[in-house]
Amino acid sequence: MTSPALYRRIVRRETHSPRSGAAITIAVLLMLVAAWIGTESVLAAIGQAPLLLAPQALVSSALQAAASPVALLVAIGAVVAIVGIILIIVSFAPGRRGRRGSISSRTAAVVDDRVIAQSLAHTASYAADVDPDQVSVSVGARTVRVEITPTSGRSVDQQSIRDAVAQDAASYDYRPALRANVRLSKKGTVA
Amino acid sequence: MNSTNRFLNRAFVFVVGLVLLAAGGILAVGALLPDLQQPISQGASDAEGRVSDTFSANAWILWVTAAAAVVLILLLLWFALRQGRGRTSTLLKLDQKGTGGDLIIDAKVAAQVLEDALARQADIVSVDVVAFRVRRENVLRITAHTRRGASPMRVRSVIDEAVSEWDAVLGQTTPVVIQIVSGIRSAMSSTTRVA
Repeated sequence: MTSPALYRRIVRRETHSPRSGAAITIAVLLMLVAAWIGTESVLAAIGQAPLLLAPQALVSSALQAAASPVALLVAIGAVVAIVGIILIIVSFAPGRRGRRGSISSRTAAVVDDRVIAQSLAHTASYAADVDPDQVSVSVGARTVRVEITPTSGRSVDQQSIRDAVAQDAASYDYRPALRANVRLSKKGTVA
Repeated sequence: MNSTNRFLNRAFVFVVGLVLLAAGGILAVGALLPDLQQPISQGASDAEGRVSDTFSANAWILWVTAAAAVVLILLLLWFALRQGRGRTSTLLKLDQKGTGGDLIIDAKVAAQVLEDALARQADIVSVDVVAFRVRRENVLRITAHTRRGASPMRVRSVIDEAVSEWDAVLGQTTPVVIQIVSGIRSAMSSTTRVA
């Protein structure tokens, strides 16, 4: 009854940004500009003093601006164009949210990268027999970097840590899958 | 999970970006090319002389501008307010043909049963359960706030067990999506549970 297509859709939607933030911000800015222009038009139409600038003055100053120095026009144009390029990139970029999904026959699951990082940190600190504070984990798109600061004067078995972390990472069936990369810091810390 | 129209969001951001890019590009390039810049600034200053005449002769321009602004604001408001909808309070609706009545199961029933079953788990700090309507199906979403260091695989299997128990209670299966997150509630909790 539960269709895989439905789960695929949900997992995709939960792991990617809806771009609501950017869209709502732009909408609010446009609304403010529209509200201001509308207010100024009504004020001018009923012959009241403008809030900032009457529509007539607005149009003529925009036309005057065509004759302003070339360098200024180029600079303004370039800045506006760059903002436009950024928005176009935002509209096409996948916008991953730092989550990964997995679909089983009964349920679909989406897990936060932070949960994965905390879990691997726990595994690594247990395998290295160090305090959890001495392990730092950062999860990228497809790789996870585990950095361990050993306690000074105590040896750690790098291979066993590597095995433990790799085994843990391999047990996850979340996609995109993660490849673990364990590093021991050269400097130790005093426990 | 919500019914936000993501294509519309991206299309809107894209169109605004394209307009800004075109306007900025034309402004910058046009200013750099004297052949283009001279006639335009000449035309603009000619037009500027007629601005006050145009405005006094055509008072309707102001009202049309105001009306256009109102329409634009309403459109944008509708666009902004339709984000993030799609929650539903109903989990299941069964048409009982023979008896002449319908059976409606509220999502709160599932929420209470699952929250109760999962709150006792050591790896989970708290659970939220809500229902969404996705593609004409009611989907249950279970959000589990994990304790720091909990294994996502273990949390998942614990929740899967609770879901299969819930399926047995309900006698039907509805789609379930599990979210395993680590938020402020996880940060405030200790790594292990005592008692």
